Amino acid sequence: MEKNFILAGFGGQGILLAGTILANAFMLDDKNVTWYPCYGAEMRGGTVNCEVVVSDTEVSSVHKKDCDYALVLNQQSFDRFINNVKSGGTIIANSNLVEITKPREDIKYVFAPMGKLAEDLGTNKVTNVVSLGVLSSCVNFISIEALKLAVEKVLGDKKKDLLPLNIKALQAGAELILQV
Amino acid sequence: MEKVLIKGNYAIAQAAVKAGCECYFGYPITPQSEIGEYLSGEMQKLGRGFVCAESELAAINMVIGAVSTGAKAMTSSSSCAVALMQEALSYACGDELPVVLVNVMRAGPGLGYIYPAQGDYNQSVYGGGNGDYKIIVIAPSTVQECIDYTYKAFYLAHKYRNPVILLADGLLGQMMEPAVFSDYPYPEIDNSSWALTGVKNRPARAIYSLEPSESKLRKRINHLFEKFEIITKNETAWEEFDTEDADIILTAFGSMTRNIKAAAKTLREKGIKAGCFRPITLNPFPHKRINELAGQGKDFIVVEMNMGQMFKDIKYAVEGQSKVALVNRSVGEWLRVEEIVSAVEKIMEKNYAASV
Repeated sequence: MEKNFILAGFGGQGILLAGTILANAFMLDDKNVTWYPCYGAEMRGGTVNCEVVVSDTEVSSVHKKDCDYALVLNQQSFDRFINNVKSGGTIIANSNLVEITKPREDIKYVFAPMGKLAEDLGTNKVTNVVSLGVLSSCVNFISIEALKLAVEKVLGDKKKDLLPLNIKALQAGAELILQV
Repeated sequence: MEKVLIKGNYAIAQAAVKAGCECYFGYPITPQSEIGEYLSGEMQKLGRGFVCAESELAAINMVIGAVSTGAKAMTSSSSCAVALMQEALSYACGDELPVVLVNVMRAGPGLGYIYPAQGDYNQSVYGGGNGDYKIIVIAPSTVQECIDYTYKAFYLAHKYRNPVILLADGLLGQMMEPAVFSDYPYPEIDNSSWALTGVKNRPARAIYSLEPSESKLRKRINHLFEKFEIITKNETAWEEFDTEDADIILTAFGSMTRNIKAAAKTLREKGIKAGCFRPITLNPFPHKRINELAGQGKDFIVVEMNMGQMFKDIKYAVEGQSKVALVNRSVGEWLRVEEIVSAVEKIMEKNYAASV
């Protein structure tokens, strides 16, 4: 089995970090995984994205055209990647910044108020981590336990004080009742 | 040992530290700037040398200065800036100095852009410096190999007193993958017979490439090439899969390797007997093994992110014994598995009449 994810949003939403946490979670689950960012001038204010590929065997290619899952945190990313979701794939969107529309009939949609939920937890800075919680409830091979360990690993000792908030954000995202 | 999720660039930098690199000299350029960024802090912490040089020319010449004392030293850069270092590489070969250079390729020609590409095969393997010289070139294909071959680069450079290029690309430099850091696995090389360490208690030495005697210069060039013969015999490295019963062999170097492995698997599922061959050392090139496989009637399809640079070397190694075709793109998005598969099918349909 090989599945790939595109994570996208605007610069500052913590997209690359979310991808890093997701990739770490897969690694902790003993899967083969790659993470590849867009890099360069795109990062200055525009959309940011990264691609995570997870596989039981060696990852076949790091950068693919279409994805099984797209996690998009703003409208621009929704518009840009909606056509890069494979037929039968899923787009998971932050409904606080993405208008609820379903321009394609051959893919699944999940809209969740990730930004609002993060704000309720105290800061919209954890929208990215909330989104991973939501993702874990949409994708059966992502375990919330592995995500929690991954968050701990990525924050490290330096940012240990932020761990409780991030664990809460993950949990809240995973428990959110999804509007499909 | 613990697996870590790490970027190719950081993997190279950390491996250099573990290999005992005592000095780093460099000038920032995308997509390899993380190497210098990491080492700027780490080398200071360890009390080793780090200089952000004023230019790439300065950086490579600083490396030459450092390694002439027998120290392990390196620089890293990318394509258009590695072009600036070609003169120094020729000198380092002539002087027999263990320079380690990491090239994380971007797109050219000229300034090009930061997109990943594999257009520096010729620059690395054939070189842009003057005179007859050869550089050892190693091309990693995964983040794990970035670590393992950084170790190897330092070892081979010192073992043979010859510059080594670690040829990575923007994709490999920027991507993250789980990897394991083993300890530096090679023995330390004794440089005391030639290094410039001060004349106290011994006669003076000099390292120079100027040789105003025809016979001596000829002897030196012959020596360099005899040395490279030994390197070819001992160090030529490649990886091959399913070649035994294969009718066609997909060939790639560096980070394109995983794509051809997956493409060969798909082709097998479609009933086409495909195998994979991937040179690990681009110089010395696994000429002999390719020649053997071609002699068994196996055709080659070369997949690379340039206009067909390794393609020529494969053709040369095949010596007309079988067919060779090219599947390529000049820059940017790596050829996808399905694109490679359909290109191969088209080539077979047309009986290798044209490259796709």
